[in-house]
Amino acid sequence: MSTLEPWDVFRQEKDGDPMRHGGSVMAPDAELAVHYARELFGRRQESVRLWVVRRADVLDLDDPDLLQPPLDRSFKKPGGYVMRDKLAAARRASGQPKPRARPG
Amino acid sequence: MTPTPVPTPTPASATGLPVDALDALLRSMADDEFVIGFSDSEWTGIAPILEEDIAMSSLSQDELGHAAALYGLLAELLGGDADADALAYDREPDQYRHARLLDHGRGDWAMTIARRYLYETADAVRLAALTGGSWAPLTGLVGKMVREERYHAMHIGAWLERLAAARGEPRDRLETALAAVAPDAATVFAALEGEADLVQAGILAAPMAELAERWQAAISPTLSRLGLRIPSSTAASASRGRTDHGEPFAWLWSEFTMVRRSDPGAAW
Amino acid sequence: MTDPLALDPVLAPEERTPVPSREGVTPDAWVERFEAHVAAGHKVEASDPMPDEYRTAVLRFVEMHANSELMGVLPEREWLMRAPTLRRKLALTAKVQDEVGHAQLLYRIAEDLGKSREAMFDDLIDGRTKFHNVFHYPTRSWADVGIIAWLVDAAAIVAQQALRDSSYGPYARTMRKICWEESVHIMHGRDVVLTLVTGTPSQRAAVQDALDRWWGPLMQMHGPRSPREKDRDLHWRIKAKTSEELRQEFLTIYVPRLLELGLVIPDPALRFDEASALWQYTEPDWDELRTVVTNHGPMSQARLDFRRLAREETRWVRESILAAPRPAPRVA
Repeated sequence: MSTLEPWDVFRQEKDGDPMRHGGSVMAPDAELAVHYARELFGRRQESVRLWVVRRADVLDLDDPDLLQPPLDRSFKKPGGYVMRDKLAAARRASGQPKPRARPG
Repeated sequence: MTPTPVPTPTPASATGLPVDALDALLRSMADDEFVIGFSDSEWTGIAPILEEDIAMSSLSQDELGHAAALYGLLAELLGGDADADALAYDREPDQYRHARLLDHGRGDWAMTIARRYLYETADAVRLAALTGGSWAPLTGLVGKMVREERYHAMHIGAWLERLAAARGEPRDRLETALAAVAPDAATVFAALEGEADLVQAGILAAPMAELAERWQAAISPTLSRLGLRIPSSTAASASRGRTDHGEPFAWLWSEFTMVRRSDPGAAW
Repeated sequence: MTDPLALDPVLAPEERTPVPSREGVTPDAWVERFEAHVAAGHKVEASDPMPDEYRTAVLRFVEMHANSELMGVLPEREWLMRAPTLRRKLALTAKVQDEVGHAQLLYRIAEDLGKSREAMFDDLIDGRTKFHNVFHYPTRSWADVGIIAWLVDAAAIVAQQALRDSSYGPYARTMRKICWEESVHIMHGRDVVLTLVTGTPSQRAAVQDALDRWWGPLMQMHGPRSPREKDRDLHWRIKAKTSEELRQEFLTIYVPRLLELGLVIPDPALRFDEASALWQYTEPDWDELRTVVTNHGPMSQARLDFRRLAREETRWVRESILAAPRPAPRVA
């Protein structure tokens, strides 16, 4: 019986980038998992940081009732606030022009 | 062709460098790295698991990269027509100066780990003795090699621990392999012609015999803890520690020169 | 089973449409919805529910691909110890290592679909599963190393680029990594070939000889023409292009690149037909292809025997170390 098990590897391509899932390796323990992660996802200098996680320790949540609840959440998003018409009315009332876009 | 650029040394004749002794040193180091890199690259494609296959191949490629850089440095030191490839490939088998430790053939996985452990630890001591030396082109290269060797020590160390800790076959195979190669382990520290000049010039920190003792002291705690025999710091074959290479190298040489010999002088 | 591949945020928003739920629909209706999901270009992740036929088809496709990477190591590995310069030695070792790496990436995908790596090796070695035709042939000279790295990898990359759009998300993502690595191999192979054709007469002759031997297998590599509507792998969008589309694409890119080196392509009938905008060529020997991929090729048994032997020699390592209790923590 082998105790090989999958370890998932997240990699950061350059400083400041998000950690992204790269793939997985089979290894019998954490030490070799780290070595093998280095080999599969870093041997040609393509990563500056790796996270190596035992797959059994990853919690997977994809329940749509929790993540994509059906009722309105627009108040939580910038697009949920539509002000164009009200702003136009306010400008008409104040007599002020529309502010210029900030430089840059 | 040299993959890693190396600093250009001042012409040797103008500086009073001990050129012959440096030649012997660089050649011995380059041949060591070349032969172990070539030998262990044979695992590429057939190692115990795919993940390990990639790891062992990386280690071999690192050693070959070090060999290329060292041959490049030697070519510049000698200033002749021979480039790094000519130095690496175009010699007769009896002209190679790698340690006899590396003349044992690939063997099984335990043999590979045993030989590699002894070589990596010896090489680390040798590199430490060159760190901070007076010849900048070499110390610059050594600094880079030391950084790459860290991972080798971690990985081969991890395997030594696992083979030693496993009861039965793996432990038996490791002990058999160590018994076969340990008597030759100290050949990495076989005396080099003119090594006193290297010490005198501040290029090498201590004579090879002293480095052999440092190496033995460095590996003793680990081997004792694992209950493994500590190899002698003087090789049984010390007088011919870097000559007289035998069958496995004759085979390796006939392989790695095969294509080049098929059309001498051609570019590849 | 948790599969973090499902957490990967690399998919564009339009690709993240969830696989249709099975709840409240009949099995048939659900399969129809699943088909519509992949037909619309949406993705399937490892932990998603999927019809058995789809799971089996992906597994079979990926397993054959993984087998081909693993067996593809062997022809070039025969020249690994003979590489004639330091640079070539490093490049070839790294290339063969990459093929092992590709096998690892692909076997991991197949493992996550439910078949163990050991079972896949058993099936490969016992001849129950297949590997690509080109890896059943001998390598006779250093020029073969160049032709394989350039043209076999080029033919493979044409197929693999199309697989970056595979409906199976983990496979599509892995193809992006593999294609990137393969592009280095093609450069290495082309450089080897270019060096030889501009070298001595015997070096140049060796390249032409290698091309003469490899052209037939290369033309067979993508397989016989088959009608798009009958191809289940296309139906499930596991792959995106037909055999003939891939072969045409390969010819379009590589025929001019071979001709500019003064090499002769060993097919007198090969020409580009302007009217149909298609390459015409002598019909590849499909009997040879069938013979070869059923492990009756010139090197099929020798390569399988070698793989079997290598696996036996390291069995003790897998069975002991990889199952052994953890070693005691190291003394600092």
